[in-house]
Amino acid sequence: MASSRARSSRRIVSRLLVVALAAIPLGSRPAFADPPTQAASPTTAGAWSLRDGDRVVFLGDTFVEREGDRGFIETALVASHPDASLTFRNLGWSGDTVWAESRGVFDQPSKGYERMLALVRELKPTIVFVAYGRNESYQGAAGLAGFRKQLEKLCEDLRGTATPASDNAAANPGAMRLVLVTPHRFAAAAGDARNAALEPYAQAIRDVAGHEQAGLVDLFAQMPTTRPSATPLTENGVHLSNAGYAEAARIFVTASGHALPADFAARFEKLRTQVVDKNRLFFHRWRPANETYIFLFRKHEQGNNAVEIPQFDPLVEAAEQQVRSIAKGTR
Amino acid sequence: MNSRHVFVALCLMMLCLRPALAQRGLKDIPAPDTAAELAAMQVAEGYEVNLFAADPLITKPLQMNFDPQGRLWVSSSSVYPQIKPGEVANDTVTILEDRDGDGRADRHTVFADGLLMPTAVLPGDGGAYVANSTEFLHLKDTDGDGKADTRRVVLSGFGTEDTHHIIHTFRSGPDARLYFNQSIYIHSHVETPRGVRRLNAGGIWRFAPESLVLDVFARGWVNTWGHAFDRWGRSLVTDGAGGEGIYYGFPGAAYQTAYGTPRILQGMNPGSPKYCGLEIIDGRHLPDDAQGQLVTNDFRANRVSRFRLTEQGSGFASEKLPDLIHSQRVTFRPIDVKMGPDGAIYIADWYNPIIQHGEVDFRDERRDRTHGRIWRVTAKGRPTLPRIDFTKLSTPQLLGHLKSPESYARDMAKRVLFSRGSEAVVPELTTWLASLDPLDPDFERLRLEGLRLRQGLDRGSQSDIDSGLLKSVLESPDPRARAAAARIVCDWADRLESPVELLAAAVDDSSALVRLEGVRALATLGGKRAAELALHGVDHERDDALDYAVWLAARETKDAWLPAVLDGTFVDDGHFGRVIFAVRSAEASAAVPRIVTALKNGGVSEADRPAALSAIATLGDPDHLRLAFDVVTDPATPPARASALLGDLLDAHKRRQISPAGDVTAIERLVTSPDDACAARAIEATAAWQVTAAAEELAGIAASATRSPSVRRAAIAALGGLPGDPPRAALLKLCTSPDQDEIYPAAAIAALVLHSPTEAATQAVAFLGTARNAAARTLLYQSFLSVQDGASKLAAALDRSTSTLSPEAAHDGQQAVSASGRQEPGLTQAIAAAAARSSGAGSQTAAAPHAMSAAELDAFVELVRGKADATRGAAIYARENLKCVTCHRIDSASGRVDKAGGRVGPNLTAIGASSPLDYIIDSLIYPAKNVKEGYNTVVVQTADGQVITGIQVARSDEELVLRDANGKELKIPTATIDEESAGTSLMPAGLIDSLSREELADLVRYLSELGR
Repeated sequence: MASSRARSSRRIVSRLLVVALAAIPLGSRPAFADPPTQAASPTTAGAWSLRDGDRVVFLGDTFVEREGDRGFIETALVASHPDASLTFRNLGWSGDTVWAESRGVFDQPSKGYERMLALVRELKPTIVFVAYGRNESYQGAAGLAGFRKQLEKLCEDLRGTATPASDNAAANPGAMRLVLVTPHRFAAAAGDARNAALEPYAQAIRDVAGHEQAGLVDLFAQMPTTRPSATPLTENGVHLSNAGYAEAARIFVTASGHALPADFAARFEKLRTQVVDKNRLFFHRWRPANETYIFLFRKHEQGNNAVEIPQFDPLVEAAEQQVRSIAKGTR
Repeated sequence: MNSRHVFVALCLMMLCLRPALAQRGLKDIPAPDTAAELAAMQVAEGYEVNLFAADPLITKPLQMNFDPQGRLWVSSSSVYPQIKPGEVANDTVTILEDRDGDGRADRHTVFADGLLMPTAVLPGDGGAYVANSTEFLHLKDTDGDGKADTRRVVLSGFGTEDTHHIIHTFRSGPDARLYFNQSIYIHSHVETPRGVRRLNAGGIWRFAPESLVLDVFARGWVNTWGHAFDRWGRSLVTDGAGGEGIYYGFPGAAYQTAYGTPRILQGMNPGSPKYCGLEIIDGRHLPDDAQGQLVTNDFRANRVSRFRLTEQGSGFASEKLPDLIHSQRVTFRPIDVKMGPDGAIYIADWYNPIIQHGEVDFRDERRDRTHGRIWRVTAKGRPTLPRIDFTKLSTPQLLGHLKSPESYARDMAKRVLFSRGSEAVVPELTTWLASLDPLDPDFERLRLEGLRLRQGLDRGSQSDIDSGLLKSVLESPDPRARAAAARIVCDWADRLESPVELLAAAVDDSSALVRLEGVRALATLGGKRAAELALHGVDHERDDALDYAVWLAARETKDAWLPAVLDGTFVDDGHFGRVIFAVRSAEASAAVPRIVTALKNGGVSEADRPAALSAIATLGDPDHLRLAFDVVTDPATPPARASALLGDLLDAHKRRQISPAGDVTAIERLVTSPDDACAARAIEATAAWQVTAAAEELAGIAASATRSPSVRRAAIAALGGLPGDPPRAALLKLCTSPDQDEIYPAAAIAALVLHSPTEAATQAVAFLGTARNAAARTLLYQSFLSVQDGASKLAAALDRSTSTLSPEAAHDGQQAVSASGRQEPGLTQAIAAAAARSSGAGSQTAAAPHAMSAAELDAFVELVRGKADATRGAAIYARENLKCVTCHRIDSASGRVDKAGGRVGPNLTAIGASSPLDYIIDSLIYPAKNVKEGYNTVVVQTADGQVITGIQVARSDEELVLRDANGKELKIPTATIDEESAGTSLMPAGLIDSLSREELADLVRYLSELGR
């Protein structure tokens, strides 16, 4: 644990960052301008950026899982880096927590956690976005310390996947960057008590981001909770609407040191459609239906169908090529 | 539709399929032909069937529901069972209408496409709720063109581990909630504004779309593909794999396969085939004797089945009636049934020669992906009813329909009323309620309907509830109304003055049905007073469901009552039995001293004494166990009571590894008890508690020809559990001493395995070389297979030895390995080698002698259908050496259950009706190939070196309960499990090897006629 002084100084830095980011007038800059120098020098706490060749993995709960099917954040990041060759793999799972509580399937969550790490190892990401905290926050103050500890463990374990095993000299130690994402606030309808419980979890994520030298996307601080005379940002007080995802996308892009045009959602609709198609293909690849029969304890009945699943790989890659070529075209 | 074009296309398609059809049992797939299909239906007397709709209007229907305009919404999937790489999911929801009322759909609209296996559709809230694999969607048409243009993910995170298990069976409940189901292999994790809701394995979800409250209504089942509500709002359920017919659903009910519960309920018709869909039929179009009948689909046997319910205890009894439809066509797959707007019965026919995705390859060409039918069943000579568009009716007219004899009309009227909102409906409702005639025989139900309307119109404000009306229904003379009202108390608890007190009368009601709902409602409300009241249930007679309900309430409210019991503030009104029941149910060991005190100071009635002692023995610490021990060994205690209590003490040892404090040698006195059960348990206790001084006496009993077999076997087993040389020496002596019955030396060797597997293996090889008793040989093999490294020790001894195994002895060995559900290649080879030495042949493991090529299978199927004889087959089935009856059960036609049959394997009562011939043949030759859901084995290795294989009966955080191949239930504390893996089938391969081809054909013929 860091000393409280160190922690508070980090908090000040991150607050400064928030202020700095908030000072950028949204949408007033031309699309894809150079990064604002005051925000994202690589040494600033919480700062992060995307580089050419990055393999991005998104990890988290329903917020992440549904982003795969909406594609706003991914689209915005692709569109704001039109010349970079980026790949995105969405590993979100509804209801998930830092303990992989949704990933146990027929096993305990701990097995699901191991499978998740194995999959990350296989995907060899250079940057992983980790978006947890909302589901854990229902445990209130009693669950906070455990959450923080497990989030730290998750960060270390994720980094561990990039450490070369003896038979895998190709992996680059320490090559993986982490970006932690705080959960956005519950909408007013869901009640202030929920946000009061969520706030310390968001703070824990900020703290861990500092401690782990990870990047930060602070949706809790930056997502607006209301927008006058516009479509609501959430559909049920918790889960983002398309407008909400568009708003979140803007916060991601700004945090990466870029900016988006005001009309980005409309402008990149074709790109987004392609992103969503690609994500659906990848979903069938990593969470195929009929897992029981294809891979698990009834594979003696239908295991022969497992041969189809890797056939999604070239389809995902082709779809991602298509994403890149559309992104270049919209430049 | 242009039927000629379709017909030509179908013929072409069938021609293309021809080569693939030249396969086993399913080679004679008839070409689609709706006229021929109609002709092939045997329809119950007094009914007739017509085609309402077929492809291309609809393809592969999965679920259907009517809307208040009388339109039929159908969800369909051609992607099922699995999306192909590169395929774009484009499944649909279609709306069918019969505008001219001729009983045939004359208009269809594709409401939505682009869906991925939409297993359910339910029109509502200006659109339709649709199951879309991981998602629960609401689709809406906002511009009036008939096609959905908005798509909202209402809930997500549902599992897809098996695509015929994904969320399905959407029903609109009497409480205006949406009910939907998931099946056994699904794990769902759903984020709602009130937190994450998780459900592992099967169950029924309950969802309020207004408040977004999601909870689990009931759990378990394998494939819960049917759910219907009776006119009082009670839930009836069917299972597409469960085999117990009609089930009773109530809040918190748990059935077979429920995750995380040590106790489950049973369905009403054990030995039933699998059923899909469920509807309660009624109305003026149907004859009097049909009113209230349940209709469901035996899709495997191409039948539409009927049941009749009668009220019984806290639930129902269910009786099977003659089928409504029985088709001779293998493609008739009825999977849903609904009452329609004209009073007719509508049946969705999935139309497929292949039943589901487990049987043949996902891409097998025999899978039909394009056809589907909706059949309409009417009563001959009775007029159908005029269709009503309920959305066009005034509120008073809708209220009038609550008096309708058709549940269809009542439900649709309520759905429209719910959607109109309180302001429009409540004033009219108040007038309507005031106008009801208390002398009307339907008065109590109508008043409940009024209460239901208030429930459905509830938007969360104080003025939305009507506590006066609720109270009057709680006091209704009709128990069905009182029971329904008890459940509603829960839903309004946040706004009622004292909801718990409102339920005080229910728990002491004269009706078991009301007590059940009262207990469940109180458990849901929680708190000390609610727990005290719920435990009133203990004072009254309890059938299984009610006993379960009180048991569950005690567990759920433990945190409320336990502190009160401990600090003496629990109010039991002098019924200490409530406390004892609660402590036992919730396994609240902290309260054991309280029971001990009560026992000592006379606070326990004579009637409650056995339960109190059992609680102490099961849950107490060693000092408490000592109290029970002293009762056991008290000469004044009758042997039966001592035996039962001793069972509890042994249970404490098995599950918690604790024994009575102090010197327990006094148990020796009971090993000579004339009561065999008591003696056997006392003997078992000497080993459990390590009373080494008993060894000599046990050795005497083991060798005594005058003691009963069960006592002798117990003594031999106990010698295996006692440490040291004397027991070991005694066992060695028993291994070799000649005995009339070879089972005793075999048991001695089996017990010796626990002392020294190597020494035992040497003895075993010698024994197996000469033994003639198959049961003894099997026991031996099993003993080695049940300890870690046992199989390898036996293999080593066989390899070392020059002795041989007879073909029979080798066969038993291979069967035992197969039945362990594990691979033991070392032992398999050693057995084969020993057998080969005996015959002088090379060491080859014989392949299954009945293995067949496709052509041989065709010929064999002909033999089964031709010359084979079911009566001879029945005699073969009963042969002891085949062991069919050891594991399987066949119930008699009268519905009475033959308890003698085994419960290890699936119930075969309806196997012939539900399984094609090739499936039956395959399963006999290769038992591990197709394992019925719920019968896959679990292999557990415990910390003390035991290896246990069995079928999971129950699982909780603390305990795994397995049923082994001998039908014994084994409770394994989770903490003692080192490793756990999935096995295949408990049924050994090779059981039928000894049969001739003709005998096998007879057996198959017998099985294929069961349930037909």
